[in-house]
Amino acid sequence: MGERRTMTGGRAQALQQMVERHRWDLARQLALFAGIVAVCLWSVHVIIIEGTDWARIGSLTGVLRSIGRFLVLDWSLIPQLALPMVETFMMATLGTLLGLCFSLPVAWFGAINVTPSKAVFYPLGRFLMTLSRSIHEIVWALIFVAAVGLGALPGILAIAMRSVGFISKITAEAIENIDHKPVEAIRATGANNFQVMYYGIIPQILPVVLGTIIFEWDINIRRSAIMGLVGAGGLGLTFFRQMHMFNYGGVTMVILAILVLIILGEVISHYARKAVT
Amino acid sequence: MTMISFARSAQARDGSRRQWSRFRYPDSLFRYAALLGAVLFIGYSIEFLGIDLARLLQMFGRIGEVLANRYYPPDVGYVLQPDYLHSVLESIQMAYLGALFGLLLAAPLAWFASYNMTPSRRVLYPMARFVIMGSRSVHEMIWTILFVTILGFGMLPGVLALTMFCIGFAGKLLAEEIEAVDMGPVDAIRASGANAVQTVMYAVWPQVKVAWTGIAIYTWDVAFRAATVVGFFGAGGMGWYLKRNVQQLENERVAAILLSIVALVIVSELVSAWARHRVAKARRPTALQGRTVAD
Amino acid sequence: MAILEVRDLTARYSRTSPEILKGVSFDVEAEDFFAIIGPSGAGKSTLIRCINRLVEPTGGSIQLFGDEITTMAQKSLRRLRRHIGMIFQEFNLVNRMSVMDNVLSGRLGYTGTVRSLFRMFPRKDIERALELLDRVGLSEHVDKRADQLSGGQRQRVGIARALMQDPKLLLLDEPTASLDPKISREVMVLIRDTAREVNVPVLCNIHDVHLAQEFCNKVIGLQDGVKMFEGRIADMKQRDLDRIYALEVL
Ligand SMILES: Nc1ncnc2c1ncn2[C@@H]1O[C@H](COP(=O)(O)OP(=O)(O)O)[C@@H](O)[C@H]1O
Ligand SMILES: [Mg+2]
Repeated sequence: MGERRTMTGGRAQALQQMVERHRWDLARQLALFAGIVAVCLWSVHVIIIEGTDWARIGSLTGVLRSIGRFLVLDWSLIPQLALPMVETFMMATLGTLLGLCFSLPVAWFGAINVTPSKAVFYPLGRFLMTLSRSIHEIVWALIFVAAVGLGALPGILAIAMRSVGFISKITAEAIENIDHKPVEAIRATGANNFQVMYYGIIPQILPVVLGTIIFEWDINIRRSAIMGLVGAGGLGLTFFRQMHMFNYGGVTMVILAILVLIILGEVISHYARKAVT
Repeated sequence: MTMISFARSAQARDGSRRQWSRFRYPDSLFRYAALLGAVLFIGYSIEFLGIDLARLLQMFGRIGEVLANRYYPPDVGYVLQPDYLHSVLESIQMAYLGALFGLLLAAPLAWFASYNMTPSRRVLYPMARFVIMGSRSVHEMIWTILFVTILGFGMLPGVLALTMFCIGFAGKLLAEEIEAVDMGPVDAIRASGANAVQTVMYAVWPQVKVAWTGIAIYTWDVAFRAATVVGFFGAGGMGWYLKRNVQQLENERVAAILLSIVALVIVSELVSAWARHRVAKARRPTALQGRTVAD
Repeated sequence: MAILEVRDLTARYSRTSPEILKGVSFDVEAEDFFAIIGPSGAGKSTLIRCINRLVEPTGGSIQLFGDEITTMAQKSLRRLRRHIGMIFQEFNLVNRMSVMDNVLSGRLGYTGTVRSLFRMFPRKDIERALELLDRVGLSEHVDKRADQLSGGQRQRVGIARALMQDPKLLLLDEPTASLDPKISREVMVLIRDTAREVNVPVLCNIHDVHLAQEFCNKVIGLQDGVKMFEGRIADMKQRDLDRIYALEVL
């Protein structure tokens, strides 16, 4: 009898605990949700209600009218778009290739199984990966415009630096996931270190690396198109000029040109991806 | 002692000497042609863009020199001023709102844009895809400039630009996550007579909840990175200070601002990585966890 | 005279780990097809990997043609390795390379870095590779990728790669453990015949005692890093097997 009571008592206690835990979870979720909403309201108040010049925006018709100005396309701009489009395309391509060149040593440092030194180079490689991804392409472009002057070169360098993070991270992951057995077999034939890497590791990671480069190149077209905004050539420069001339129809044309380039990039990368697999 | 050849037996069986060459007639020709084309394209691009390779080689020295002469020492006092710190807070709030609005819009769009779950493959699916693709294709800085032109300087255009950016960024990832769900539970819930919304709530949402939380955190992180620079084009926050000092050639202040941006972004990345890790650990593993996402 | 002399060999994987080999000695002679048998975990793979120093021995000596292996410098070690062909349980081919390139990679130790960068192997290596592929019955598959072959075919590529090295010694680490019994026998026959044709002694880890009895002439039995039996395979009795496979562990 006594035993049974303790059993029911134990069960009731467990049930009680479960209910409490559930309540606690619910309360936590509610608190989180309330926090999100509160921060949202506060931010809306500060940023959108107080921090915006509503008089400048004026009425809805005013806004619609300024949007309308973008919709009157300026077809006469077409001949001026061809060269910047080519330039943008080339900047993206060279930037990606240069980024690949920088990525290889970074990936080598940052892959735990092949890094030359776990104490020094591994953290260095990881840090470079984070650094490259953390800095916005505009900031990279500003840095290189300051360092090497205006033109396509800073744009290429900025794109290269911005690409290093992603390419090297994926490459390092691929290196960390290789199958070590064939590598050992190549080493057992008496191959030197370079040959072991070239015959044992590279064939295994090549498809991943190629896929990543194609992917990154596709993204870089989009980045390359804005490099001109800070003085690094390409379509961004045309965009900037049209904006300064208040030729909004021309601005829309530039955006359309960017879209054409991006679609072209999608098509090319689609076929390139097919070719490498 | 070892080199006893099998040549005789091989020849005997084959009748003639076998040949092998790495060069295969059409394939290798195409491959070499493509390689040659690529090399020529690179060479031509360098020529076309007027890139001085000598300048490229001098670059490293030059960068060091420029940094040492003009950007050093960074004016740390400047970034510790209340005004600037206030702009940091503004950037954070801008990123918060942009990410929040973007995610709220991206969630239904992602549902419509996932081929397996979309309510209508003919109409909503292509439309939602188009919206996501469109907002992805236009760079966030271009969105910023457009909104600034239409609405004037201020925070609002920044928030809207980040919203557009997040729709594209998060929409794609969220939709990919829906497309990867296990269709078994979906069929089971459907078989019980549930309607589309019920199916999503009971069969899809539980499967993607954790991954979506991770994506939401990540989106905020990426939005913050963009928010630090949207001000450069007139949309408020830290970028605005960057712009002003770049124009006034206050290089030591620029250096300090850039350093503060990099530091803040790295901190936000660490926080977001930690938060995503916690979310993933609290529940089951997500697709985002352990996968490097392009940004 | 013995070609390979192993004396008091000891090995461990790290300073703190237990000793895996506890002083093993044996001799391999020119005509031998030498088997190492023992339960799994006994240290057979470790022993065989010590011979070409994929695992660094911690003590004892290994002499191949009178050269001491255990103290060799990296450069001479590479030169030595190219004379030791190795065939693995899981074939260890580079899956994304063609059969031909896998076989040619057996020549890397003889090929300069620049040549290997462009995969320009000398004419006579290519001819030799074709002969070997013909010999192992893969002349139809020269340009296929290695991962398109069946297990037995992959092991034949592995054999061709090892023979490509002009080996003076073949090391086999359970070459048939990933294959079904029929294919296993075929592969063993192929290894025995080709090894005889080029006159190379074989040192072979083998799990399957019946295969060992059929193909090998000498045997050592390892248990827990200690040699429990040594002799001609014909002299091995059930009692010895019981001792090697230690049914009395309890
Ligand atoms: N790379 C390694 N690192 C640490 N210990 C290992 C490693 N490889 C094998 N061992 C250990 O060495 C012992 C012998 O392994 P092995 O030589 O592979 O045995 P066998 O081939 O006879 O099955 C086992 O206890 C195994 O756990
Ligand atoms: Mg083994």
